[in-house]
Amino acid sequence: MATNILINGEAHVSTREPMTPLLDVLREELFLTGAKSVCREGICGACIVHLDGQPVVSCLVPVGTLEGREVRTVESLAAEGEPSPLQQVMEEHDVVQCGMCFPGILMTLTSFFRERPDAGRDEVKAALVGNICRCTGYERIVDAAIALAKRS
Amino acid sequence: MAIADPANVTMDLPRRDARDKLLGRTRYTVDQSLPRMLHAAVLRSEVASARIVRIDTSRATKMPGVRAIALAEDAPGMHGIGIADHPLFAYDVIRFHGEQIAAVAADTYEQAQAAVRAIEVELEPLDPVLTMAEALAPDARLVHPDWKSYEILFEGGARGGNVAWEATVVRGDTEKAFAREDVIVVESCFRVGRQNHVSLEPRAAVASYEDGRYHIETSTQAPWTVRNQTAKLLGVPPSQVRVTVPPVGGGFGQKFDCTLEPYAAILARKSGRPVRLVYSRQEEMLTCLCRENAEIKIRSAVTRDGEIVGREAVVLMDCGAYGGEQIFLTTMTAHTLMGNYRLGSVKLASRAIYTNTAPNGAFRACNGVYNTFALKRHTDEICEAVGMDPLEFRRRNVLGDGDLGATGQVFEGEVLGPMLDRMASLRDKSPSLEHRAGNRLYGRATVVGTWFIFVGPSTATINLNADGTATLVTAGVEIGQGTMVQAMPQIVAHELGLHPDDVIVRTADTDAAGLDLGVGGGRTTVSVGAASRAAAEEVRNKILKAASELLQVAPEKLVLRNRRVEIAGVEGSGMTIASVVQHAQRATGPVVGSGSFTNPGVASMPGCAAGHFIDALEIPVFSVHDCEVAVDPDTGHVEVLSYKVVQDVGRALNPRAIYGQIQGGVTQGLGYALHEELTIGENGCIRQSSLETYRVPLALDTVPVQIDLYEGAPSIGPLGTKGAGEVPILNVAAAVACAVANATGRRVQQTPLTPPRVLGLLLGREPAIELPHIADDWWENVLMKRPSIPVRRS
Repeated sequence: MATNILINGEAHVSTREPMTPLLDVLREELFLTGAKSVCREGICGACIVHLDGQPVVSCLVPVGTLEGREVRTVESLAAEGEPSPLQQVMEEHDVVQCGMCFPGILMTLTSFFRERPDAGRDEVKAALVGNICRCTGYERIVDAAIALAKRS
Repeated sequence: MAIADPANVTMDLPRRDARDKLLGRTRYTVDQSLPRMLHAAVLRSEVASARIVRIDTSRATKMPGVRAIALAEDAPGMHGIGIADHPLFAYDVIRFHGEQIAAVAADTYEQAQAAVRAIEVELEPLDPVLTMAEALAPDARLVHPDWKSYEILFEGGARGGNVAWEATVVRGDTEKAFAREDVIVVESCFRVGRQNHVSLEPRAAVASYEDGRYHIETSTQAPWTVRNQTAKLLGVPPSQVRVTVPPVGGGFGQKFDCTLEPYAAILARKSGRPVRLVYSRQEEMLTCLCRENAEIKIRSAVTRDGEIVGREAVVLMDCGAYGGEQIFLTTMTAHTLMGNYRLGSVKLASRAIYTNTAPNGAFRACNGVYNTFALKRHTDEICEAVGMDPLEFRRRNVLGDGDLGATGQVFEGEVLGPMLDRMASLRDKSPSLEHRAGNRLYGRATVVGTWFIFVGPSTATINLNADGTATLVTAGVEIGQGTMVQAMPQIVAHELGLHPDDVIVRTADTDAAGLDLGVGGGRTTVSVGAASRAAAEEVRNKILKAASELLQVAPEKLVLRNRRVEIAGVEGSGMTIASVVQHAQRATGPVVGSGSFTNPGVASMPGCAAGHFIDALEIPVFSVHDCEVAVDPDTGHVEVLSYKVVQDVGRALNPRAIYGQIQGGVTQGLGYALHEELTIGENGCIRQSSLETYRVPLALDTVPVQIDLYEGAPSIGPLGTKGAGEVPILNVAAAVACAVANATGRRVQQTPLTPPRVLGLLLGREPAIELPHIADDWWENVLMKRPSIPVRRS
């Protein structure tokens, strides 16, 4: 029951049960602990990764469905250790608090800005409704994201 | 000796932990993994109240992968705050739905869960006591029939039956005040529900047993509490427990107590292997130490001029099955519900009540949030009765310099008055958003609140290194608030003439750092900061003394700045701090300093407060909030149009970080005020078991908060600081509820203000809160005896 998956550009063979959530494969087999296991029912968004370029909640994706597909996690955003522009702008604006939600938020916004690089405030807020943050009250994350959008 | 100029300590220092958190590299407790690590699961009760007849683990023991099972006999001790009423495992009686009965460690989590299901438990069900009204009924079954036999950890509280703790304040003669002919008497009742913290990192621990000692790596706010409570529960000396804390993924008070650590510790000892225990989101929803549900009856005698000559109140706080934090929190009501305003006379009973429900705990501005809501709504009802503008009433009555608080504490400085002025100018600067209400009902309110800094013991050690950097060792924890990555390095660097980046901050380890009360109550910047500053002072004096000898300049003429010891006023003179340290290491030994801090003690009026853990506020903190809302008359939906905060911060070391705390705290408060609702079913189980049914604020639920930081109020904190992270949530439910009452003209007595509840208010269908189990005669509500009336002899 081996499943071949491309994870952050590297081939990986998972031998887990087909119904095992992708999230557990990432965290337990590859120790890619960026994606967080918070609600495990697709509501909080802390486990969002990109599957063939699209954001998905990895807690609800069975590994058995991933044969030949490509997964990218938050760990892949920084090419050669250099933070992505989105990661940089979040750091510059000092918006991180406990940090648990950021892996998911970064994956949501990275794919969102690919589609809407010059998005406005309301659009960014709407894009974030699938990501729960309990610390920041969102607005300063949105401010940082808008600052990036204005640069583009 | 020259004192560094405190003017340059303020800076928007970026967080040093942000980069790794953004890269997904930070390893929280949930991300820790050790070789040969086992996974634990907990067997929980599925009834709220029962007698345990038999527990049989024989089948579970033989299940695949099972390495250890822990039961009540493994944890002989009881813990608690004030009263040791809480065993680690239920051993005779089940007291709440979700109570821990056994814990299993196995090779995988699934195996541990399977073994948990295989444990046989025979129960004899009892009728649960689910509400405080039931608990206080004359014939109520006792949640703790043996309450008299429990060890008392703090003297002074009245206790009895289902009353876990009672704190009272009696100051002046309220009977006389209420009997006056020139007063109007206003009475109000309120009820609030529970709030779950929803820290994204659940409670989690990895325990090992090495060289005869327990090592617990855990997601906690209070490592020393975990150390001491674990030892007490396990019946071992506290020195046998070591607690270390990686970055914590949110706390908000939930992790201020010891909870799951002892289970992991027992299983680690029994199995001889590291054990990981992480609570599932469902466990977090059903057994989280929530902000407590509460019921409040308050009445005031007020003159036509708006003078409050008498105030009486009874507050019932549901502590759930065990006393826990609520026993301490009965103390706070004197300063929250009975705070803010000058009162001629006071009677207050603040009672923690046992019920067969999940225990409650601490949550950001615990107790203060709902008592501020109740007080502000009560104040507005008074204003309506006496015909006075609410803002004018607040101005006339807020505590100022030399005024007496509820317990007779003398307040220093005019703070709330000037803060109201600052809010007025903030309101003037930005036009009202009433036009955005459209056809909806528009309302607005400005409210004041009083909170405090929970000081208490902290220690710090600083080692100055040969490269000129400093290593700060404390038991302070970084839970996201930023104190350990911003304020601490700033305070130490400021004292030593370094850049904050030169200050290495050791993560908490109870083997490395001395006693600390933990991160909570807004205390870290103040208490850990004061200890760190004291340690830095000792280091500074040593450096100045050594440099004075090397440079042949009197220490008074030397300053530490730019990583150098310089002759005052001569930039670039003297020598680097690194070279002084190197010299000292050879000549007199490495440079090290230590510091400690605790509460200095503030006086109250003797004899008026009973059962209080603290009688007066060490460092009061004030805040003023303003909120505009639009209420949809067809759906009852409340939209927050604007939100403004003027917050007393003492001194802002890092304004940008404080803005982050205020935006986050207000948003969490909006959830509490509007849609975070927990209810308890007939079976005693919390109904909202997931984030699908418990609605926390999302990005579209909040607004950008306009903020004005009020600096300069008196504070004993280092450099004049006060904690800034806890208080932002304090006034939010009050501001929203008063604005909704203003918009609808209805009596708002309850939170959260969900659309069905608001619609019910608008349609006149929402039943009034009456609280018949709180008697009108204050004395009938308390365990303390009514003083006998002296008989006058003729």
